[in-house]
Amino acid sequence: MTIFEKIADEVQKGHAAAVEALVNEAVSKNIPADRIMDDGLVEGMNIVGEMFKNNECFIPEVLVSARAMTVGLGILKPILAEKNVKPIGKAVIGTIQGDLHDIGKNIVGMLLQGAGFEIIDLGADVRVDRFVESAKATNADLVGMSALLTTTMINMKTVIDGLHKAGIRDRVKVIIGGAPVSQDYADRIGADGYATDAASGVDVAKKLLNI
Amino acid sequence: MESGNIPVLTVIEDTIPRAYEKAIKEVWEKGISIRTEYDRSEDPPSKDATVMIAVREPFGQPRFHRSFADGLGGLAEYVQEVVHGAHDYWVKPVEEIIKAVESQDTRWTYTYHGRLFEYMIEAEIVNQIDYIIDKLSQTGHSRRAQAITWNPKLDPPTEDPPCLQRVWGRLCEDEKGDFIFNMNTHWRSRDLFKAWFENVIAITTLMRKIAERIAEKTGKRIRLGRYVDISDSLHIYGSYFREIEGDPERGIQSFFEMLESRSFEERTWDSDFVKPFFIDDGIGKGLKRMLEREKDMPENVRRSIENELQKMKDDDYVV
Repeated sequence: MTIFEKIADEVQKGHAAAVEALVNEAVSKNIPADRIMDDGLVEGMNIVGEMFKNNECFIPEVLVSARAMTVGLGILKPILAEKNVKPIGKAVIGTIQGDLHDIGKNIVGMLLQGAGFEIIDLGADVRVDRFVESAKATNADLVGMSALLTTTMINMKTVIDGLHKAGIRDRVKVIIGGAPVSQDYADRIGADGYATDAASGVDVAKKLLNI
Repeated sequence: MESGNIPVLTVIEDTIPRAYEKAIKEVWEKGISIRTEYDRSEDPPSKDATVMIAVREPFGQPRFHRSFADGLGGLAEYVQEVVHGAHDYWVKPVEEIIKAVESQDTRWTYTYHGRLFEYMIEAEIVNQIDYIIDKLSQTGHSRRAQAITWNPKLDPPTEDPPCLQRVWGRLCEDEKGDFIFNMNTHWRSRDLFKAWFENVIAITTLMRKIAERIAEKTGKRIRLGRYVDISDSLHIYGSYFREIEGDPERGIQSFFEMLESRSFEERTWDSDFVKPFFIDDGIGKGLKRMLEREKDMPENVRRSIENELQKMKDDDYVV
């Protein structure tokens, strides 16, 4: 097994301490940080994402793996920043105003991060204007919104209207998800994409951004 | 059972994960197909049954199944919500609850902790858990030690009324003269596939807290007995069928294939594995992160959760 395969394997198993040790070992051997990230951490999380999509692992296991990946990324981040390594895309995500449910959004965030995106996670119950401000300030490629309530999903359209008003709608793709949301609803409010579940969110995001 | 009758099922197992798996299998195979208010038009009807589930050892290991709709840190926060009232401050004022679906306020209409520990009746607040503790401390064999959640004025018009209805407890003596705390809960309606497990982890933590407080009050040693969980409607929503049945053409395996493909140890976790994630799951959830994130949490609740966090750092504390 190469060190990359070992890192990917430990990410998949959710062994944070082992990932930390292996990433430190790789760094000490002067292996480029972007390769450790792409071929080790991201590869491991991609495997988890694929398994999740195929119903081969459970939601809490995805998050246990995400924690292991995050530990590894924490070591690499300063090195990547120093070398100006760019992510494959930048996504602002959050649960819409009035809605405190965040598990779907968290899984999408972890899987997107695992796929190489930079994530700006605004959390739950996010004010409409915060989505717009954050997308503008960070020059995001993607805005991802989640809702679990019929009473809150209506705020998604307000965010899209806000992106139009801010003059950035043409450079940012909007993806929505959550139990009460559908493709039909996405079409009606003018979203670019709809994800039926967290696992397919990554595929939809990549497709929208031609990655 | 003749058609038109809801099946009545019973599951008795040693541990929570064993009971959970058995219940899913039973409801899936023997449940009636019936619509719920939450089904979307494109969803098949839900599978549904009236079910009594008994867990002989609520803290028996492994205590955690890996199949639930959250992370371990999120589960830890939910336990704090039920046992310590972490999110009672997310409940909207009574005047907004009365407006029912007309209210624009999207805050919650109840929490289980709020209803059990601070039940509002005739403009007075009743701590029903204190009542259970006091009653069983005085008369352990009483059949009156119970707490309810339903508010007949507030709940019927709301979109999402409480599922848990009643908590009932009783003390019995075993053959050695030790006291055993037995607890039953009664649920109006229950999402078996995505809520039952988390509900039971939280409610059995409450069960332990009640037993500990009775022990403190009486000076007697009290052990946990069996936990019994009765649901009028225990269901698997139609929207989950894709996950349960899988999709062989797209390479998606069924839930039952997933269970069969792993050993029981590989589909569960014990409390020792889970505890560090309850403290801090490393991705934004868990007790430490909750205290950092929720700045508006009332001070008394914050202190309870800080105490819980301290207890968790003790090796002997079982989550």
